[in-house]
Amino acid sequence: MYQATKIVIITERTILDVVTKLIEQGGATGYTHVEAGGKGSRGVRSAIRPGISGVMANVKIEAIVRDKAKAEAIITSVSEAYFQNYSGIAYVEPVEILRPNKFEV
Amino acid sequence: MDMITDILTGFVSQMQKPTLAFLIGGMALAAFGSKLEIPEPVYKFIVFLLLMKVGLGAGISVRAADIVELAVPAVAAALVGIAIVLFGGQTLARLRGVTQVDAMATAGLFGAVSASTLAASMAMLDEEGIAYEGFIGALYPFMDIAALVTAIVLARLSAERKAAANISGQPGGAAALTVGEGHGNSNAQMVRGILLDTFRSAAISALLLGLALGIFARPDSVYESFYDILFRGLLSILMLIMGMEAWARLSELRRVAHAYVAYGLLAPLVHGVFGFAAGLFVHQITGFSGGGVVLLAVMAASSSDISGPPTLRGALPEANPSSYVGTSTGLGTPVAILSIPLWIILADMFIGV
Repeated sequence: MYQATKIVIITERTILDVVTKLIEQGGATGYTHVEAGGKGSRGVRSAIRPGISGVMANVKIEAIVRDKAKAEAIITSVSEAYFQNYSGIAYVEPVEILRPNKFEV
Repeated sequence: MDMITDILTGFVSQMQKPTLAFLIGGMALAAFGSKLEIPEPVYKFIVFLLLMKVGLGAGISVRAADIVELAVPAVAAALVGIAIVLFGGQTLARLRGVTQVDAMATAGLFGAVSASTLAASMAMLDEEGIAYEGFIGALYPFMDIAALVTAIVLARLSAERKAAANISGQPGGAAALTVGEGHGNSNAQMVRGILLDTFRSAAISALLLGLALGIFARPDSVYESFYDILFRGLLSILMLIMGMEAWARLSELRRVAHAYVAYGLLAPLVHGVFGFAAGLFVHQITGFSGGGVVLLAVMAASSSDISGPPTLRGALPEANPSSYVGTSTGLGTPVAILSIPLWIILADMFIGV
């Protein structure tokens, strides 16, 4: 197994496209996103009942990069660009991957 | 006294009609804490079908309408959309606990049009046997886009003024540079961005597709055998969803200023009067029907709850979605739908329908 870093970003669905763009620009070769719900400083967001407008819906985005510094740079850029006005949680986790060539540009 | 009794009895009988009854039923279910869920793809599909029906119907009628008959109400619809936003800037924006950008976002949504409310009013007019111009659906984008663009531009301008005032207070620095860049890419470009975003929104694109198909193709057979027939049943489900959604969104309002509650309850009625007055004016010029006046009033009274919020969330990220979505979906939409009979009664009194 090989060492790598996973980025996790939980944010609003309306900015999914722009956030994933930043993730790719930061050097990730791909990402995964799923509908998310939960509770935070902006109240409860339901994944099952996101509301008809869609602006109350959240997503959880994950991406894996080999380099920890790269991972930190990505979540810093996302946080600086969007987290003042949009809800967001971001963190990194060490992970072990099977095929390192999948995550190298 | 007789008039008041008439209005009241008229109102009660309207409540028993499917449109309003399903709305109230949905609210009651949600208030009762029912576990009933209608999944997102279902109502998205219903809204799409309703918009296609409205668009196709309008497109087919536009073919036969003459340009003046069409242009006068279209201009009136756009002016009403702008007037609603300006009115919001003079009222809601000045109330305690309301920021300029939140007020503009809320007024923008209230100026924009709700497909569900418009569809509900068409169904009610059909049921009453009141005639209206077939092309009325074509007025929707005029009011919707005029209101959203006005609201976003005004909010942006006021934010820039505020930023400029801050910079003159503390000269130099990196902040001045970034803000300078922000409004460096001219207002024209900003308006183009908003327009593009609005045209790409789910509601407007479905409606415009319907319109285009109605005008340039001959979809009459599929319109009559499918869209027109499904319309009423699907609308009843959508009304149920809107009722449940309204109740769910009311809880958002607990976190924002009381001013939004007052605005959400009263603004639809004031806006409806704007639309009604504009409709009467158009009636004088082009002989616009009583049903048309009702629909223009309903469009003005309604507030966008599906296509407007994402546009605003993108264009005005500083605005708090809890305040504008809560006010629009939680209060604006139910008040607008419940006020439909009022416009029918008024149109009957003023011009006869």
